[in-house]
Amino acid sequence: MRLATPYDVIIAPVLTEKSTLGSEHNQVTFKVASAATKPMIKGAVESLFGVKVTAVNTLRMKGKVKTFRGRIGRRAGYKKAMVTLAEGDTIDITTGV
Amino acid sequence: MQVTETSTEGLKREYSVVIAAEDMARRLDGKLQKISLNISMPGFRPGKVPTSLVKKIHGDSVMGEVLDEAVRETTAQIIQDKELRPAVQPKIEVKDFVEGSDLTYEIALEVLPDIELPDFSKIKMERLVADIPEEKIQDVIGNLASQQTSFEDRGEGANAEDGDAVTIDFEGSIDGQMFEGGAAKGHQLLLGANTFIPGFEDQLLGTSVGDSREVKVTFPENYQATELAGKEAVFKVDVSAVKKPLPVEINDDLAKKMGMENLDALTKAVREQAVREHDNVSRVRLKRSLLDILADTMKFEVPAAMIEMEFEQVWSQVEQDMANQGVDTSGIDPADDGALDDMKTEYREISDRRVRLGLLLAEVGRINNLEIMKEELSQALSQEARRYPGQEREVYEHFQKHPEAMAQLQAPLLEEKAVDFIIELADVSENKITHEELMRPPGEDEDEKAVLESFEKKGKKSKSDGDGKGKAKVKAKKPASKKPVAKKSEGKKPAAKKPAAKKPAAKKSTAKKTAGKKAPAKSTKKTVKKT
Repeated sequence: MRLATPYDVIIAPVLTEKSTLGSEHNQVTFKVASAATKPMIKGAVESLFGVKVTAVNTLRMKGKVKTFRGRIGRRAGYKKAMVTLAEGDTIDITTGV
Repeated sequence: MQVTETSTEGLKREYSVVIAAEDMARRLDGKLQKISLNISMPGFRPGKVPTSLVKKIHGDSVMGEVLDEAVRETTAQIIQDKELRPAVQPKIEVKDFVEGSDLTYEIALEVLPDIELPDFSKIKMERLVADIPEEKIQDVIGNLASQQTSFEDRGEGANAEDGDAVTIDFEGSIDGQMFEGGAAKGHQLLLGANTFIPGFEDQLLGTSVGDSREVKVTFPENYQATELAGKEAVFKVDVSAVKKPLPVEINDDLAKKMGMENLDALTKAVREQAVREHDNVSRVRLKRSLLDILADTMKFEVPAAMIEMEFEQVWSQVEQDMANQGVDTSGIDPADDGALDDMKTEYREISDRRVRLGLLLAEVGRINNLEIMKEELSQALSQEARRYPGQEREVYEHFQKHPEAMAQLQAPLLEEKAVDFIIELADVSENKITHEELMRPPGEDEDEKAVLESFEKKGKKSKSDGDGKGKAKVKAKKPASKKPVAKKSEGKKPAAKKPAAKKPAAKKSTAKKTAGKKAPAKSTKKTVKKT
């Protein structure tokens, strides 16, 4: 299996204005492997951060189409996962794992 | 904020200050909020970064700033509340502080003494005045005239006499070896002017055009180029011209040559110059006597830290001077420890006097609201700038950029004002003395100048003002050992003493010379301002 460890599933936290809005609802946003499924993400977050996950919402971010030196190119896309944590659990996404 | 006085001893004060944790937290939050408005971070629009995130990222460094600020503010507050006048920067010691706990720190400072100003009208002083003798002015004019002397060829075969100017080529050697700076061509030498080493000129008397001579001279033991001192040297001299001086008549023509309208105008200018000089000298001496009186009568406690600081500056200057003169202090140390200690004690006393007078004059200025006008300051500034020809712009910039340098300029001005103020109040009688008595430099004139320099408003001492003073002092102490280094660089005239300064300048007071000498190109040292 390609996504053997939790580290392969979770790539990075998403630290934006929008993602901090989610923190009000106890949600944390991650950039995850495109092939990751919701159960995989749930398992990975629970084992990495020692928290309980109640829900996972995912979406695919499409890469932007960019023109560079007259040629059309496409940035890589990625999968974003909004993970809702059980009440009382928190993840400090700025400190890293 | 809780302040407890832990000790009061003489002028020393110590406080222990506690700032509550909540207060610190409030300060930190305020600061963070301000930062988050200006910070830019990817993923966030400017000003939209959450404070909590800012705190996580920049919290530590901001905390340091907050700590600094809190300490500074509260210290200032304490000083204001308790109406302290610190003599030096308060020493602040922060015990370790962790976020969420109270901040505890200690302040140790020395306050300025309360000086009771004496009744200045009871001070009795003498202002020295003197008439300028007519001969003196004639002398000066004569000197000026002799500088304008023109020479006339004596013609073939005529012998050079004392006072003649000869043009010579020379080559000097010691034991057959040429030495550096020992040769020149077409050098004009005035016989009898004693610009070369003793004996050199005498041996050229009686030469005529085309003559070659070997001149044997011995360099004096105290010659400034040490490698030549005391050596015997042979100079091969070829005389290419012998000229006799034309007597200069003191008349309107001479005056015109010097840029004056006529002889009367010249005389007047010279007289004015002399009067100015007199006024200067008399003022300096009056000032000195005033400071002497003040130093003797005004006894009050002086903050030890200030004396120590002053002493450090003076001493480091002394050491530097000694090193420059090749006096090896380390050599003295073991054998003659006492001498060094004696010197230290002496300088310490001087520092004490300086600090005391500085404080006193500052106090006079403060109490009587003496202020420096903008014009006076800019005048002083341009005066300062003129001392560095070609670099005026840099000097101006330097002063604009560094307020503390500006304060250095202000200090002597304010001090002059304070002195003027006292003199005005004091009982000054006039004492007529002769010109010679007035011009004779009083013993330690320079020291007094230095004292004046040390004065700074509110006793805030800046680093560089030690230089001038220390130097001046050393000069006063051992004038003999201090030779201007410039002499050495006169490579072209091997055996030449520097022509005994320009005549009129030579008569300036010693103090003035000191001011002139310590003017290295780029530094912005404080100068003695003469008004």
